[in-house]
Amino acid sequence: MTKGNEIRSWCWIVGLLLFFGCSPRPETSPETVTLRVWCHQGQESENQAMRQIAKAFNTTHKHKGIQVDVDFFPDYQYTEKVSIAAAGGDLPDVFDLDGPTVAQFAKAGLLSPLTPYFSAEVLEDFAPTILEQGTIDQTLYALGAFDSAMVLYYRKDIFEELNISPPPEGTAWSWETFLRACTQIAITEMTPVSLHMDITADEWFTYAFSPLIWSAGGNLISEDGRETIDVLNSPTNVRVLTQWRTLFDQNFARRSPINPDPFGSGESVMDWTGHWMAQSHFDTYGERLGVMPLPRTGPEIAAASGSWCWAISSHTDHPEKAAVWLNWVLDPRQGVTPMVEANGALPARKTAYQFFPKFDHSPFSTFRMLQQNHGRSRPRTPHYPVLTRAFAAALRDIVGGAEVQERLDQAATEVQRVLDRSGRTQ
Amino acid sequence: MRSRPGQRFFHAWVLLTPALVLLSLFVAWPLLRALSWSFQQVSILNPQEVEPVGWSNYAWMISDPRFRQAYANTALFALMVVPLQTLLSFFIALWVDRPNPAWRWLRHAFFLPVIISMPVLAVLWTMLYQPMEGDQMGLINRLVTTLGFPAQDWLGNPDLALPAIAILSIWQGVGFQMMIFLAGLQNLGADQLEAARIDGAGPGKRLWHIILPGMKPSIVFVVVTTTLLSFRLFVQPYIMTRGGPENRTVSIIQLIYETTFLNRDLGLAGAGTVIFLLSLVIPLAILRLMRRAAT
Repeated sequence: MTKGNEIRSWCWIVGLLLFFGCSPRPETSPETVTLRVWCHQGQESENQAMRQIAKAFNTTHKHKGIQVDVDFFPDYQYTEKVSIAAAGGDLPDVFDLDGPTVAQFAKAGLLSPLTPYFSAEVLEDFAPTILEQGTIDQTLYALGAFDSAMVLYYRKDIFEELNISPPPEGTAWSWETFLRACTQIAITEMTPVSLHMDITADEWFTYAFSPLIWSAGGNLISEDGRETIDVLNSPTNVRVLTQWRTLFDQNFARRSPINPDPFGSGESVMDWTGHWMAQSHFDTYGERLGVMPLPRTGPEIAAASGSWCWAISSHTDHPEKAAVWLNWVLDPRQGVTPMVEANGALPARKTAYQFFPKFDHSPFSTFRMLQQNHGRSRPRTPHYPVLTRAFAAALRDIVGGAEVQERLDQAATEVQRVLDRSGRTQ
Repeated sequence: MRSRPGQRFFHAWVLLTPALVLLSLFVAWPLLRALSWSFQQVSILNPQEVEPVGWSNYAWMISDPRFRQAYANTALFALMVVPLQTLLSFFIALWVDRPNPAWRWLRHAFFLPVIISMPVLAVLWTMLYQPMEGDQMGLINRLVTTLGFPAQDWLGNPDLALPAIAILSIWQGVGFQMMIFLAGLQNLGADQLEAARIDGAGPGKRLWHIILPGMKPSIVFVVVTTTLLSFRLFVQPYIMTRGGPENRTVSIIQLIYETTFLNRDLGLAGAGTVIFLLSLVIPLAILRLMRRAAT
């Protein structure tokens, strides 16, 4: 290549870069602020719904000076991604978080309080579980568009064949009644209940089985978040988890299931799982599908709730504009309804239920009843990830045959070491 | 034309600079950062806010039973994998070292697991290790029971879980080491082996007196790489057992990862990293001596 040709080539490259790199974005005024929004990548239907919500927002706010640019990241590494962004001082303006991680981000000073951006009337419209999940030390930091609920699905036809009576609507079986039903079903050689014991799903264990502990009056960590010794390994928890283990000891549930949907494929008669299976089970069994609250180990019905929720970064230069997006994505019609249609979750806004009449009738009405009356957030502590890992590991070992008291003692000590270290340096 | 020493020095630095910049940026700087964090209380969510804590992160880590368990697990894993994988890959290389092209498929077959991603293999082997429960059991238990032995809970039994993971790791990595040995074998003089055979040396004598001495550099290379790779144990236990049962498969890397992303504690993670790297000094020094002896 001659010198002249070389210079000409470079001119072309620089010219093209300038042309494509510096051409102005069409259709936005110079004052327009484009908010960086990060979102976990869930099921494809959820992602599509979120893209539609963002598209509608951008169209509506084209001449109001606000646009959003939504980036999706796989949910299994999403929290790591946000943590690394926080470390690099590069948090987006708005992002969603899994409910139990709100405390960690709020305590690190990374979230803006939301109360200034939502009227009391609007906040009143949110489910109490959603408000509880996003409130840390009496300050609201996060709000979700949808909620979750754990239930026990059952086959009405098999129950009738075996003369098993489900509990009256709005009530739950006691643990003893649940075990009696399992014993009756086991005689038929069907699996009484599927518990989805996926070894790698730490969060599942805490979400699915904490309600047993709460129902008996136990807890995973003290109310002030400083103690797990004598709380996580309390006599109540030991009793409850010893009872829970009988499900595996008596082969009422599989320790290592291969089938991801044993209930849907007719292998098991009851399914201990969440709202996300409701539509699929309803499509499979129709009128033969029943839904009841999880069995109670004490006087109270308990149900885990909470899900992904939105927060505004404390580092954003545009908190008011970020709040406009939040109001949109949490609006009953613009944000909540399309998202709930996509993921089958429970609406986080009371007024959004008018768009989902199915929740007025059985079996879906049970979800709404649980959310309104018995839903409970997982512990709101900055050390939740350590707690849930230790608790899940203990449950896995207990199923595998470890002595309950000894294993809970170990888990309580492991977490307490982390709490003590944090307490000393605060 | 010979260049002047000054010019050669200049060229050497020009050529070295990109590599040095990348090494400084992605190896030296993170290591120095980890070293500095190891003496501080610092969260990944707020790394600007640091508080000097002296040696307390080290004291905390060393006194942590889970860290000690992770350390023992990783060392035990290396002790299982390094000799077994080296021996196995060596003998496989001897077996597949045949001039006939018809045997090449065998090399490909042994090398295939190396190119498959470890997470995929970990999921696959979890299914193979499936314990017996009702009418379901994994292929390995089916084989074991067919041979008349009782089925085992390979990944659920605290005594079997780490060896089970080691078996998968050996199977996955053996093809890579086999290729190194194969290259070494093909560098050996065919004339020397042929002469020994004509002189009446049997396979044992040829192995002991010709092949093994000629293969020393390859053996040392394989031992060094296998040792380093086995200390990096993470994916297999993280996917197959999550470090359980009873913390018997938790590895050092998993523990450092959890300390960073669950505890969000960069100070402790830094201390764990430094302890881990320092502990590698002894095996690496031994291997260096071995390499010197071999060459």
